[in-house]
Amino acid sequence: MAFNPNEFIEQSIEELKKLDGTAIIAVSGGVDSTVCAVLANSALGPKLKPIFVDTGFLRKGEVEQVKKVFKELGISIVIVEASKEFFACLKGVIDPEEKRKKIGGMFIRVFEKEAKHLNAKYLIQGTIAPDWIESGSGIRDTIKSHHNVGGLPTQMNLIVVEPIRDLYKDEVRAIAKELAVPKDPAWKQPSPGPGLAIRVIGEVTREKVALCREANAIVMDELFKAFEFGEMELPQQYFAVLLETKTTGVQGDVRAYGHTIAIRSVETKDLMTVEYSKIPHTVLHRISLRITNELKQINRVLYDVTHKPPATVEFE
Amino acid sequence: MKVFVVDLGSQWGHLIYRRLRDLDVETKMVPADSPLSDVETVDGLVFSGGALRVGKGETEMAGNCGLFLDSAVERGTPVLGVCAGQQFIALRFGGEVRPAKVPEYGNVELVVDYANDLFQGLPEKFTVFASHNDEVVKAPGFKTLAHSKDVAIHAFKHESKAIYGTLFHPEVAHTQYGTEVYENFLRVCKR
Repeated sequence: MAFNPNEFIEQSIEELKKLDGTAIIAVSGGVDSTVCAVLANSALGPKLKPIFVDTGFLRKGEVEQVKKVFKELGISIVIVEASKEFFACLKGVIDPEEKRKKIGGMFIRVFEKEAKHLNAKYLIQGTIAPDWIESGSGIRDTIKSHHNVGGLPTQMNLIVVEPIRDLYKDEVRAIAKELAVPKDPAWKQPSPGPGLAIRVIGEVTREKVALCREANAIVMDELFKAFEFGEMELPQQYFAVLLETKTTGVQGDVRAYGHTIAIRSVETKDLMTVEYSKIPHTVLHRISLRITNELKQINRVLYDVTHKPPATVEFE
Repeated sequence: MKVFVVDLGSQWGHLIYRRLRDLDVETKMVPADSPLSDVETVDGLVFSGGALRVGKGETEMAGNCGLFLDSAVERGTPVLGVCAGQQFIALRFGGEVRPAKVPEYGNVELVVDYANDLFQGLPEKFTVFASHNDEVVKAPGFKTLAHSKDVAIHAFKHESKAIYGTLFHPEVAHTQYGTEVYENFLRVCKR
């Protein structure tokens, strides 16, 4: 039957009511985990403990954004600062799959620590269909290990519950609408758990993440402005990637040898096939000017014009 | 009506399940190595794509699909193979599958050669999404339904049985008229 969000909400809450113990839920502020938190909160009430991990890979203003969303929902969350541990576990790691797996493992370690504290038995996650499909298993090839699936360690003490694992983004959004999940349009885009760590190509350092964070803030700000001024529709997902390639530039008559930023922006229904967005050149130009002027270490900005397939949305 | 998706490991197999479910069909994803008894009572079967390289003779991942296909033919149950699923069908019927001269990844213009039940009511040309490494080069007993600039046999139908195949992926959002292709297939299953 054509997808019916209300029916799904009812069934899902009934299922979640069967959990016989305390559950923690991993929230990121994105629509998937927020929808799960609302469903689980209706089913479990005080037996549910939402946890938000500050990995150090978050976007500018993301902690405040998450706090705001959950305050509006009337659900209290625990914020765990763990950036030191996350940066430490990625030291020397350059392989994207290893990165995602280390991050997934570190998330679980943080959750297990909190679960022990709270005497929790379950870990609820906002895993959706593309996460487990792309993570592969058996005869399905691994395209990328999503931190919440392929990144999970083989040995763990918590029972994982995934209420929306059969759904796609557009279906989750339909549920979010029914549940009146507040959405700030400027933040309405997927927020992968590994965050900026997979938008810094190569080894992840605090310095590179800080640079990548600023570039992302500029992309978000400029695209949102262009949308507000009616220059374009807001793309489904848009961000900046700090590449490993350094290139030659000239800044004020002086030779520069700086970093390169790639801009990625895509249109999609379900994230399984994706087209790059046709952003107006004037908008791209403003982004490029701001990035190269506000971030002196960057002297080149590229725009990614590849669909998925053959590319994927994120670079890693 | 009951139409199952046989999972050959495609990234998009679950999307086929979603399309069928959205079209009010009783459906389920079935692993390719399931016993034949799991798929014997259906009104139709869809073989998903997968990472198997049929063009290099790698058909191990197709599990029991050969048995499923033979049994469906015997019972007159319609089958649609997508991508590697199409290639597997061709091979099973004595055809030839090779690494594609031009593998297509992304938008492809499909030209319909024969507007039979699968492409009924659709334009002569439309845009589809493909992602393949191999292609069917010979399919004895099959009629070509559509081609692209680089691939001669993009879609086919058996001359006397309800066995269909498309190299492109009708289940993805970026294929035009994808839902209509499944609707047309379901019409065949209903007969």
